[in-house]
Amino acid sequence: MTTLPTAPPWTKRAAFVRRYALAYLVLAVAFVFFLFPIAWIFGMAVKQPAEYFSSPPVWIPRAPDLGHFRQLVLNRSINSLANSLVIAGSATVLALLVGCPAAYSMARFNTGGRNFAFWVLSQRMLPPIAIVFPVFLLFRIVGWVDTYQGLTLLYAAFNTPYVIWMMRGYFRDIPVEVEESALVDGASTLRVFWSISLPLAAAGLIATAVFTFIFSWNEFLFAVVLTRARVVTVPVAMSGYFGSQSSFWGEAGALSVIASAPVFVLSLLVQRYLTRGLTLGAVK
Amino acid sequence: MSRTTRSFVLMFAITLVGFGWTAPGRAQSAADIAVNAAKRYSGTTLRVLWEAGLQAQDPLSFSGPEWKKLTGISIQVVETPFPELFSKMVTAHLAGSRDFDVIGYVPAWQADLVEAGVLEPLNPFLDKYMPKGTLDDIHPTYRQWLNWKGKTYGIFDDGDVFVMYYRRDLFADAANRAAFRAKYGQDLVPPRTWTDWDKVCGFFTEKYKPSLYGCAIQRTEGQDYFWTEEAMRNNGVRFFDPQTMKAQINNPAAVRTLAEMVNANRNMPPGVEKWGFIEVFSAWMAGKVAMIISWPPPGRWSEGYGNRVEQLKWLPETKVIGKVGYAVAPGGHSELAAGFNLGVSADSASKEAAYLFIQWATSKETSLKRVMLPYALRDPYRLSHYASREYRALWPHAPEYLDTLKLGADRGLLDLSIPGAREYEESLDRATAAAYGGTPPAQALDKAAAEWDQITQRIGVDKQRQAYQEWAGKPNAYPR
Amino acid sequence: MNVTRLSKYGLVAPSIALIVSLTIFPVLYLLWISFLDWDLQRAGRQFIGLANYVHGLQDRRMWEALGHTLFIVVVAVAAELVLGLVLAEALAGPLPAKKVIIPFLILPVIMSPIVAGYGWRMLWDTQYGPINQLLGWLVGHPVTLVWLINSKTVYFSLIVTEVWQWTPFMFLVLLAGLVAISPEIHEAAAIDGAGRWQSFWHVTVPLIRPLMLIAVLIRALDVFKIFDTVFSLTFGGPGTFTETITLYVYLLGFRNFRLGYTAAMAVIVLILISLATTVLLRRLSDE
Repeated sequence: MTTLPTAPPWTKRAAFVRRYALAYLVLAVAFVFFLFPIAWIFGMAVKQPAEYFSSPPVWIPRAPDLGHFRQLVLNRSINSLANSLVIAGSATVLALLVGCPAAYSMARFNTGGRNFAFWVLSQRMLPPIAIVFPVFLLFRIVGWVDTYQGLTLLYAAFNTPYVIWMMRGYFRDIPVEVEESALVDGASTLRVFWSISLPLAAAGLIATAVFTFIFSWNEFLFAVVLTRARVVTVPVAMSGYFGSQSSFWGEAGALSVIASAPVFVLSLLVQRYLTRGLTLGAVK
Repeated sequence: MSRTTRSFVLMFAITLVGFGWTAPGRAQSAADIAVNAAKRYSGTTLRVLWEAGLQAQDPLSFSGPEWKKLTGISIQVVETPFPELFSKMVTAHLAGSRDFDVIGYVPAWQADLVEAGVLEPLNPFLDKYMPKGTLDDIHPTYRQWLNWKGKTYGIFDDGDVFVMYYRRDLFADAANRAAFRAKYGQDLVPPRTWTDWDKVCGFFTEKYKPSLYGCAIQRTEGQDYFWTEEAMRNNGVRFFDPQTMKAQINNPAAVRTLAEMVNANRNMPPGVEKWGFIEVFSAWMAGKVAMIISWPPPGRWSEGYGNRVEQLKWLPETKVIGKVGYAVAPGGHSELAAGFNLGVSADSASKEAAYLFIQWATSKETSLKRVMLPYALRDPYRLSHYASREYRALWPHAPEYLDTLKLGADRGLLDLSIPGAREYEESLDRATAAAYGGTPPAQALDKAAAEWDQITQRIGVDKQRQAYQEWAGKPNAYPR
Repeated sequence: MNVTRLSKYGLVAPSIALIVSLTIFPVLYLLWISFLDWDLQRAGRQFIGLANYVHGLQDRRMWEALGHTLFIVVVAVAAELVLGLVLAEALAGPLPAKKVIIPFLILPVIMSPIVAGYGWRMLWDTQYGPINQLLGWLVGHPVTLVWLINSKTVYFSLIVTEVWQWTPFMFLVLLAGLVAISPEIHEAAAIDGAGRWQSFWHVTVPLIRPLMLIAVLIRALDVFKIFDTVFSLTFGGPGTFTETITLYVYLLGFRNFRLGYTAAMAVIVLILISLATTVLLRRLSDE
């Protein structure tokens, strides 16, 4: 077999530099494009009204202060933060509680077969608009409109298919031998699930939990229909700032910071699983 | 004294004393009656649905705390942006959740709200608590808003009317007057027609831009329809054919009206298509426009009344003190745009307490205080408000201001108010916004007219014909 | 593995119960309502069969909304694909600092769409937004485009906002695909005389085509359901110029309270999405 001819060094270096220069250029442009809007919105949170209501607008706040954040506390918009935490958190816990066992059952025992698995996935694709309407009418009968339990249960139900689908994948990644040796030793299925499979899938579990939390945290349509006065979540509070009077940009910016910072941090924590989590496991 | 005389005198004395004791009760004001009757609900909370933002400052900073001081009842304000108000009231009712006790609603929606079962008839409470004649003090035009099909559902609370504000100094300036006369052959006065409006606006814009523009009107979607309803009617358009109930909003006069409105935008500051109430009066107070047409509050604030209070400290400093002139809007008949009634929710568990709050808040003394609040968006609506010496003394031109408001109400035009009003309004609003965005007016209005006809069909042509004829029969429905 | 049927199905039962009660059952209820004549403006609810659907199919505004939606789907997804591909191709190689930067590029996807929408609404603002100011600097005189109202620019603004938020998703997917291609294939192509572009077009693309297809389908399904972005940026305006199908159904149900008709519209949307989902699932199951 002949050896592959190598290209002369100088063309290689030139190509190397060219390729990397281009790559860095693209990276820089992308960085600016994707992050500038976020930076600008966050900047609003600490700018004075005189600064952002000036034409031309002021780019860098001269005397950043947390007045807008204080306003949020004063007019109690900050309650929406607590509401979102409670609802998204509870919904995530509930979805995991019912979803993980189901996922395990499907991964190990092939419960329901392939058809069931894909039925579960198809539930994830359900358009919210088809659900929100009848759910609203149903909730009004049981008095669950504008309550914590209503929205929490709905988010849990809506995200359970996602949890099942993802955790099924993570459980399948665990080699069967590890579990089999425990079973041979006489452990019950439930024990194996709890003490062996779950810990081994912990990383996937956390990632799935984070994504479920983020979906519920960011969700708008269900929230705006099913909450009104008592249980407003952060996205709904946000929409309240842009009614007919558009003068509260500073507070809107502050609320954006509050709405985004937690999920940004969370996403950075699970970045290893970003692709898998966002593409429903299609890409690992 | 003979026995008969003595008994006579005795009876007379007793009657006198009796009168003396009951006299204070009879002359007791609506406010006092309400407060006294409400004290037994002390410790409870009333939930009040109110327009978000500045409007809500009234119950948040004044009427809520005052009421609590007087009666011990807490007021919890639920703020909602204007475009969501109607939807929120109805969904709350639909959901059966006892969300609100007092509802601040736009009178034009009254028919829909009553048909949907959202509002409680107030007549039993009125009979029990409202002293006779108190409601007569409300300006007769606004008084037309209180009833639907013979029952009272709300008490009027906010004298909204469109006023034209113009810069006295610019109109009085000799050089301007000469130049305008030279160009158009007529005097430079606050315009009385929309054609003149465009002339005056263009004149100022050409001369002064970009530091000053001739005029500005809010063009943002969601409240466009007020101006369209006003301008069309001033140009002779009627909304429906009274027999067939076919929509007339796309007839030639209507199309011409909308085209004129779109055309007028070119003389207004750039970006005006997105301007709402706040942007318009901010520009006015900064001295950047020569004329605006807006609700009453800018007339007070631009004269420096109250805009340094906490609630308004984000407002720009007013640069036009002493320069503000008031006039009725072009066309001669101003739209009584929006306004508010205070009503009681049919789902409320505290209907009587809610009603008493309303009686107190709309009583002569309390309502005068409320419309005089420096940061208030509530505007004068009682005859006693317009005549109030206290109010008229607030700034040099205040008497002229109040007189203009009253004149505006005298000759004002009521918003269309029949079942489906909200849908008709939204359709017209969309057509107007589409026209501002670039769609040809004829096309936009044809679409709106088709939508109007669909709405009429759906609700029932006969039902609508009856309702429309009742509304159109009111003195202030169309220019007379 | 020895396991009782009870425990096998028992593990699955709670989730099924939850899903059925809060998603399947409501859909059935929705179907039922769609056959009723239920309108807040009038009393009573009568069974009227398919009348709502017939009315719906003749509803011009619905067809327009569908048209607007499809337009956005096609343009936005195409733009995301191209941009995502460019980004992925540029960053596929061994680039130092790449691992640090990429998580930041993903932030737009993590953000709540409604928060992003309102944020961009401030960016597009005519007087106070930085976009007009930047353009003004570039062309030398003040720019006062009314991005979100003028019918000539509103779709551009809408799509840019949507693309901004979701291109990183495309980028992630495609990057994973590109990285999976072993470098030897490229080297072999280079030896055969293929230039950079040819190598890309004739070697890389066919290899990641299945992945591209899946990503495009997922995104297309998501964009079809677009709501938050339109709600915050334009609310369907000016007029109904940017009204998408989800927004129209929302307005029908929660502004005009035409309950029976809304249900029929929602069912139509559901059917359309289900068809598309079936296609997607078939693709995924082939993997």
